[in-house]
Amino acid sequence: MSELSLTTASGDLLRYRQLLLSLTWRDIRIRYKQSALGIGWAILLPLSMMLIFTFVFTRAIDASKVMDVAMPYALYAYLGLVPWTFFSQALGSAVNSLVANRNLVTKVYFPREVFPLACIGSSFVDFCVATSVLVVLIGYYHVRGIYAFTPHATLLFLPIVMLVQVTMMIGIGLILSMANLFYRDVRQLFTVTIQLLMFVSGVVVPLPQDGSLLARVVGLNPIVPVIGAYRDCVIHGRLPEVGGFVYACVFAAFVLLFGWICFRKAAYRFAECI
Amino acid sequence: MNSDSVVQFDRVWKQFTIGETHDSIASLLASSVARIFHPNKKVQSKRKTFWALQDASFAIPRGEALGIIGPNGSGKSTALKILAGILRPNRGHVRVVGRLAALIEVGAGFHGDLTGKENIFLNGAILGMSRAEIRKKLDEIIAFAGIERFIDMPVKRYSSGMYARLGFSIAAHVDPDVLLVDEVLSVGDAVFRLRCIERMKELIEQGVTLVFVTHNLDQMQSICKNAIVLDGGQAVFSGSARDAVGEYLQAMSRSYTNHTTDVSQQKTLENAPVKLLGLHFLNERGEKLVWCRADQPVRVRLRLECSARIDQAVVELNMRANLSNNLVSINSGRSCIPIQLERGTQTVILHIASLPVCGGQYFWNARVWNQNTGATELDTSFRYPLVIDDAGQATGLLCIDHRWLNQKPNDSQTVEGLEVRHLVDDLEHREEVHAS
Repeated sequence: MSELSLTTASGDLLRYRQLLLSLTWRDIRIRYKQSALGIGWAILLPLSMMLIFTFVFTRAIDASKVMDVAMPYALYAYLGLVPWTFFSQALGSAVNSLVANRNLVTKVYFPREVFPLACIGSSFVDFCVATSVLVVLIGYYHVRGIYAFTPHATLLFLPIVMLVQVTMMIGIGLILSMANLFYRDVRQLFTVTIQLLMFVSGVVVPLPQDGSLLARVVGLNPIVPVIGAYRDCVIHGRLPEVGGFVYACVFAAFVLLFGWICFRKAAYRFAECI
Repeated sequence: MNSDSVVQFDRVWKQFTIGETHDSIASLLASSVARIFHPNKKVQSKRKTFWALQDASFAIPRGEALGIIGPNGSGKSTALKILAGILRPNRGHVRVVGRLAALIEVGAGFHGDLTGKENIFLNGAILGMSRAEIRKKLDEIIAFAGIERFIDMPVKRYSSGMYARLGFSIAAHVDPDVLLVDEVLSVGDAVFRLRCIERMKELIEQGVTLVFVTHNLDQMQSICKNAIVLDGGQAVFSGSARDAVGEYLQAMSRSYTNHTTDVSQQKTLENAPVKLLGLHFLNERGEKLVWCRADQPVRVRLRLECSARIDQAVVELNMRANLSNNLVSINSGRSCIPIQLERGTQTVILHIASLPVCGGQYFWNARVWNQNTGATELDTSFRYPLVIDDAGQATGLLCIDHRWLNQKPNDSQTVEGLEVRHLVDDLEHREEVHAS
């Protein structure tokens, strides 16, 4: 069937890129409308999370013995939290994106992919804003002489890391939004899962490296190499470990392809099943 | 099928599921267990289905307008949604050439928190316009909607009329090759509705192909040259708009035949002393009617059952078009006809010489009250339909008795024509006198 082919689908999407931009812009606009802090929340959310975890792991309990992060913990946490907030926030809104736009899904035709894509797009803007704080944070540590920062050439590798993350997110977002349209349970399950996932993705706590069964299971999580890659490129000045990163790339490509094909196959039923 | 057609709808079937389309975990488990144990037995689905469209076909050449009319649930909106690509047919083929814009619900993509202007950009993009295009037409869109003063206000504070006007205005400026419009002109005031119709005619002149779904037969006839009638998911008629209206009215009357006088439809007052056993429309020969000609006499027969005698009763009949405002209210009190209702069953008949209204479906109700006490004894809802056919003589509300006279210059043969001219002369003369 020609409607199912992904080349037609990408042609469709290309024609509707204007709409994708408009919806992305709408999502950003609405999120910060009637809010005094506005886009400031994009900084405040990961920042406050970082402060909470820094307090918990350095003041409330001294975990420095078990957690060897080789940099100030606040920096470690923030470098994990920024990509993680992007990941969880984008998917959190993508999961409900089709259902929330029921009016459009049942009344107007355009490629339905734009809904989860717009969620990822608007969260990406937040991600970029939150990144600016990172510069301030690194500068602070550098000036205070706590942690000397030297910019590495590996910073140039960051766009590839982001690309892998976004690819992965698009695939997952397509699957989640579609699944939630048919079964609203998905949204509830997602809320629980994303909480758990945060602690096994190396966001605020380093993962066990002792070769135990737990460590091996957790190591299968494809998000781990992506989060780690940000720290590798920004702080350590080294490229991410090849095996893990290639695994994440392959996973991202697979989930995008699988998600998109499923989405396309089910799209014609959206309007009647929503 | 004509290959020049811009829109082709070829033998389309569409099935829907009634009720829940999702299985709960419990029923999912049960059915999968059943499938494991009886792999060959087809598990019977509890879901009920119905066909919203059955083998419906039509085609529209470039630059023409096609009206789709039919009773509720006949598949009109389904057909439009299939054309728009929102739904996929189970069988059959649909082809639309060129850029398509569907106005299935006015302002479907509006977001309450965004201002009017922001919504124009968003909705324009939803309807397939580029940003540059929208910017170019922005002033025109705002002016057409007539909301210049409120354009920077969030649309959540708009009145429903403003909301609808803005929604239509955006869609009217999309410049599509094919425009689908579904029953959206019922909004806004009369002036705006007229402007919408003008705009649609303009678009047709510019070569836009239009598919117009509506219940408003006048609007449909004024815009579309051709129309199809859908009934029960089938295209029962295809032809000129005027013939389609006649066919539609008859289809309507057929579908109402079975429950015209259903007693359960009456709005019962608590312990009402008068019960309406039946309300029938009859012709002069006393045969029951469900549709009649506008220029022919009709009798309305009420069969009443009274639990007590009412010395001076007033019987009233009201007629409405489209369940909106009353068109006419006739009661025996105004006519100073005393009606005495005895205990038991009896019949009251209203004779109407003609019903000079435009073709369409009209709804009736009956009321009875006691003139001495003022107490309402019976008050039914407007559930008694009568289809009136005016043979396409007029559009609007009234079908006044009329004829045309055409007098050529220096032709004094037509006596009636002369009279008209004399009258005009006379009027002009009188105005001159006033002026001087």
